Amino acid sequence: MQTGTIISGVAHVSLIGWALLGGVFKPAPEPFEVTEVVAISEAEFESLLAGTEPPETVSDLIVPELPDVTPPEADTPASSQADQPPVLEQPEETKPPRPEARPDRPEITPPTPAEVSDDVAVLAPPSDEPETDGPVSLTPSRPQEAPRVAPEAIAPPEPEDKVADVAQDVDTSDATGEEQLPDQEKTVEEAASTEIVTEAETAEPPGLGRSLRPRARPNRPTPPEPTEVADDTPPQPQDNVQSAVDDLLAGLSNDTANPTPPRPSGPPLTSGEKDALRVAVQKCWNTGSLSTEALKTTVVVGVSMNEDGTPDTGTIRMISSSGGTGGSVQQAFQAARRAIIRCGARGFALPSEKYEQWRDIEMTFNPEKMRIK
Amino acid sequence: MIRRFLTLLAATAVFALPGLTNAAPLRIEITEGVIEPLPFAAPDFVAENSSARQLAQDIAQLVADDLSGTGLFREIPDSAHISTITSFSSPVQYADWKAINAQALVSGAVSLQPGGRLTVKFRLYDVFAGAELGSGLQFTGTQEGWRRMAHKVADAVYSRITGESGYFDSRVVYVSETGPKNERKKRLAIMDYDGANLQFLTDSRSIVLAPRFSPTGDRILYTSYETGFPRIYVLDVASVRRRVLEEQPGTMSFAPRFSPDGQTVLYSLTKGGNTDLYKMNIANGRSQRLTSAPSIETAPSYSPDGSRIVFESDRSGTQQLYIMDANGGEPKRISFGKGQYGTPVWSPRGDLIAFTKQSKGRFHIGVMRIDGSEERLLTASFLDEGPTWSPNGRVIMFTRETQGAGGSASLYSVDITGRNLKRVRTQGGGSDPAWSPLQE
Repeated sequence: MQTGTIISGVAHVSLIGWALLGGVFKPAPEPFEVTEVVAISEAEFESLLAGTEPPETVSDLIVPELPDVTPPEADTPASSQADQPPVLEQPEETKPPRPEARPDRPEITPPTPAEVSDDVAVLAPPSDEPETDGPVSLTPSRPQEAPRVAPEAIAPPEPEDKVADVAQDVDTSDATGEEQLPDQEKTVEEAASTEIVTEAETAEPPGLGRSLRPRARPNRPTPPEPTEVADDTPPQPQDNVQSAVDDLLAGLSNDTANPTPPRPSGPPLTSGEKDALRVAVQKCWNTGSLSTEALKTTVVVGVSMNEDGTPDTGTIRMISSSGGTGGSVQQAFQAARRAIIRCGARGFALPSEKYEQWRDIEMTFNPEKMRIK
Repeated sequence: MIRRFLTLLAATAVFALPGLTNAAPLRIEITEGVIEPLPFAAPDFVAENSSARQLAQDIAQLVADDLSGTGLFREIPDSAHISTITSFSSPVQYADWKAINAQALVSGAVSLQPGGRLTVKFRLYDVFAGAELGSGLQFTGTQEGWRRMAHKVADAVYSRITGESGYFDSRVVYVSETGPKNERKKRLAIMDYDGANLQFLTDSRSIVLAPRFSPTGDRILYTSYETGFPRIYVLDVASVRRRVLEEQPGTMSFAPRFSPDGQTVLYSLTKGGNTDLYKMNIANGRSQRLTSAPSIETAPSYSPDGSRIVFESDRSGTQQLYIMDANGGEPKRISFGKGQYGTPVWSPRGDLIAFTKQSKGRFHIGVMRIDGSEERLLTASFLDEGPTWSPNGRVIMFTRETQGAGGSASLYSVDITGRNLKRVRTQGGGSDPAWSPLQE
């Protein structure tokens, strides 16, 4: 009995010891890592060290030369100002000449004999197009060099003429019943051309705005035939990696060649910033003159914003509507449009560093709370 | 492995960089706004000949008064104008009108021909849109009708901005009251909605009550005590001729109202101590009894489509409002609030019913939906009663009487929003107004 117990105990201890020490609970051995090795001969190694045929290195890549011209600051913002939108110098705008005399409107239809008639005479809107002396050639020609761009090219002034906003001649003719203007000083408009002569159109080689795509990495020198073939592994994978690197570099190169800097995006607007915009718009959303039908109409209005926070009024459009008919939808949209234009005239208080987040806005005008209860 | 990493990097560059410049639009919802009069400018109209100079000023002023009187618009005075309009055809300098916050601009011209023919034309501009709102309109008439032409201009402006029809070229018939309370003289009077062009239609020898316009505005129903008992009369507005509509011995007829087609008259008839609703075909004089309850049924009013009738009845013990089919049938009670309801009038739009409510010793003018829901009291005073709708269903006119022996009755109007409560200009006192449809 005791002997059996002893034998059993020894057997159990042996089994447990074997399990612990024998590697039963050891994890499975990791797979062997296979490293590709290419065996070369001593002569080949010597030739590599001696550099008899050194392969072309990265330094041999053709790097575009830096331009000699110092780029303007506006095109290369300082790194400290990277978060701010670059300020591009815009050509000075020139207002189109105002027509001195407006064309006459057509006469209104003669009155009808009725006592009071609802018959309408649709009056043609006045033409706002200025009168032109003659046809304007649209054939592009080489613009003359001038620092200003205007609808019409203006020759450089005479040295004695004074440059002013408006060209005026001194009236030297005798007054024949017409009112004489006070003394005038002869002035001429500043010289201008109709186009901007860009660097691309000049004969000089381009500086900024154009970069050469780096050449593809040259082929590696063909290694000499090994005398002892260790492993016949084709170099295909390395070529694939190389092409991927080339593609990536090429893509980045194209991106850097794009002269348009990325606009600041920033994080999404906070709820406080959205609320500020909402409050600003609703201050001008006047529903007092809306019909009861229009007060049942919800409209979604889209608008594109300028970077200064003002709405681009020409982009205000109705995206969708619900709960109204044609007339009431139009009234509701007009009220919404007036709200955006009126309160946005001085610019909404929006964070400029997040311009891309609010460049396009969709506003839903829901008059449910304004409705007559 | 390296290729996967590079591919992932390239994909990130491809998709992430453009995302910076093509963000989804920012979406916000505006649920609160402001309710305030829309500022507009109506400079003097251009006089196209010297004889039209005064009319040009008067017409522009009347247009401005009409619009401002609604409470929905606010005129910017001439002294604040930057631009002046010297020619009807000259282009508008929107910036000048924007600078004074004029959201709408009315320009016009007036010409008076030697024969007395008057021509009024106008344009309406949406200043902030920088565009004309609708096309130019022209009205031609006699010089004496210049007020109507001005009202028509104002109606067109109102309609284009608010989206609902106007009510300025309309008339009001009412009971003109003069003298002390215990010896008050009453007679029918008709005037423009703004109190101008007053005319008396009856003399003051007998008491007259509750005049009502026909759908075309050319006839008036009213109740007169000329015979000592109330009788319904029909009066032709143009000729001022009248005739008795209902005359049964030993009966009293009152509270008449036209059907929407003008062919039928609803009224109350008291016979044998019981008052019920009847309707009569005007052409053949045949009448039909619509109710037969032992209670008092009166003040009936047709729905705009003529299919139903709303009236007041005390069949439940207190005066309440009921709706039933135009040919009779079982009425359905719609008023359940505390107090008494009376004089219901169906809105021209068909969606609301105006009424008089007496509660806790005060009178109110209110509106409710035709199912009795959404009751709103618009006024409260010692005595408000007898509502009548403007042609567009936006304004309610009613009678307000002041307290005491020296109290008098006047006409008031209020927007259905409860705003713009104001007294209507009348010559002396007035009660029981009825608003005409828009004039042709």
